[in-house]
Amino acid sequence: MISMSFLATVATLALVYAMATQLLNLEAGWGGMWDLGVAGLIAVGAYSYVLLTSAPDAMVPGLGLPILGGMIGAGIITALVAALIGWPALRLRGEYFLISTFAFAEIIRQLIIIGKDVTGGTFGITFVKRPFEQAFRFDAYPFVLLGITAVLTVVVYLICSRVAGSVYGMTMRAARDNEPLAMATGTSVKSLRMSTYSFVGLLIGIFVGPAFVWFLGALVPSTFGATLTFTIWAALVIGGLGSRIGPVVGALLLTGVSEAVRLIEVAPQQAHLLSAVQPALVGILLIVVLRFRPGGLFTEQKSFARTGTDVKGELKRMRPVGMAAVNGGEA
Amino acid sequence: MQNLFFGLLTGAVLAVATSGFALLRNTERFLHTAHGQFMALGGLLGLTLAQQFGPWLGLPAAVLITAAIGVVCGKLLFDPIKAQGANVMLFTSVGLAFLTYAVMLVVFGSDIKVFDVQLGSARQIGPFMIAPGEIVLLLIAAAVTAGLWLLLSRSSVGRSIRAVSSNRELAQIRGVPTNQISSVVWALSSGLAAIAGIMMGILGSTSAEAGWTYILLVLAAAVLGGVSNILGVIAAAMLLGVVMDLSSLVVDTAFRPVIAFALLIAVLVVRPQGLFSFASRKEAVA
Repeated sequence: MISMSFLATVATLALVYAMATQLLNLEAGWGGMWDLGVAGLIAVGAYSYVLLTSAPDAMVPGLGLPILGGMIGAGIITALVAALIGWPALRLRGEYFLISTFAFAEIIRQLIIIGKDVTGGTFGITFVKRPFEQAFRFDAYPFVLLGITAVLTVVVYLICSRVAGSVYGMTMRAARDNEPLAMATGTSVKSLRMSTYSFVGLLIGIFVGPAFVWFLGALVPSTFGATLTFTIWAALVIGGLGSRIGPVVGALLLTGVSEAVRLIEVAPQQAHLLSAVQPALVGILLIVVLRFRPGGLFTEQKSFARTGTDVKGELKRMRPVGMAAVNGGEA
Repeated sequence: MQNLFFGLLTGAVLAVATSGFALLRNTERFLHTAHGQFMALGGLLGLTLAQQFGPWLGLPAAVLITAAIGVVCGKLLFDPIKAQGANVMLFTSVGLAFLTYAVMLVVFGSDIKVFDVQLGSARQIGPFMIAPGEIVLLLIAAAVTAGLWLLLSRSSVGRSIRAVSSNRELAQIRGVPTNQISSVVWALSSGLAAIAGIMMGILGSTSAEAGWTYILLVLAAAVLGGVSNILGVIAAAMLLGVVMDLSSLVVDTAFRPVIAFALLIAVLVVRPQGLFSFASRKEAVA
């Protein structure tokens, strides 16, 4: 018997991943910055939210801010950290950027482990402030959380859509596809990338970090390892790098499939086999999708296809200039 | 001084692993993220087979099996998507890493395992306290890297590998059997991963989780050395090992990985082409 609250919890996790995947898409899909350090930024967002909101007299003392203040503060802190990482990392190209963001994420995780007095070290933080937790019964809360996360996901989707259709988003994709040309036409590619990276940091801090914390209910550094980064990347690649709805579908599909496994009932002595099913599914999905649909389930060309209703506003008016970037964009 | 020796030992093992990674990166042109998992797989296989058949039979068998798995993965998973470019291959490799991790969880469980090998009691040699087993490990690492270097620079297979890595199309036109060379490189790379994984296991412990940590160190060493240059990669791996172990004299041991990655980032900012790379690599500029 599948309990409804279990379904709600799985859906919440899927939506948190959907938010993270969309933001990664904004950065990697459209901005061309292949960031293997997403988990690090999420960790910064999550920890700063908890430290800003938890009570000053708790096991791990915090500032005791209200939830909204904590979210905004986490956003600002994460944006600053992203800017700090981006400053050296964005000078690098291709696989070097990839590796340095990977290294930064690991540094962040290690610093969280080392800074025991502030972050609780490997033991972590077991109490988190969640929105409207007192107002509802304990068994009804998963549904409330699902509702809140769904609203946040819609907000993130709207922000990403707005960016996709804006001149800013178009410039970003132009700079990705042909950097010399973009520079020649007067785009400051460097500051563009820097602002995109910090912007993604801001959104991760405001939305993904806190929502992830609400879902988890506790924080330990091991959550934010390389596996988290790769899971989000897997969702993005499966959904389609650079597409609009792809990241959401990819994240929902990946989480849905891998969490459905928990419904299988097994004998206790085979429980360790079950823990292997999730990485196996992620791996097989990635390999199969890339083999037979290397662009992912939804492609960038489809997302930005000129069907009249799909692309609105500035993009339409700027048609002659935008054509090359819109049609020539490759995933 | 003791830390210097441990640093050299860690560095030598890392050099074995990273040269396999760099070899694959240069001929197949993608970052093989599953390399760390192959190291863990080699380590766990070696441990299990050594328990069954003794170390002299079990450990080489583990290396051979891992190499064979590497060849099969290369043929089945990576050859069909070669035309799609490095990014698709990179993420297929991420998928393979997850799959290998899952297989290891099923076959070996998630416990941390320790090799049943005694390194012997430590003796004073010069300024160092060294166990005989550690010298053997250091010698094996040196022999493996020297063997690889000889293979690459002196044999005809090595010449073909270097030809393919500098220009695949041209090598093919000139009659180098590129597909066979790819298989050889897969076997070499996975075999080196297994050797390094076994040595990491003997020096410390091994588990299915270890692969995710290994790949970080391998990536760091590969980038520090400027991937295309095997000798540079070996030097960078040694440097990384020494710096990591020496840093524990100055700061807490918990900072070891932080030091390693801070060093990596500092080097990348100053010399994006790597410490020991003299040719600028245009392919890296996407």
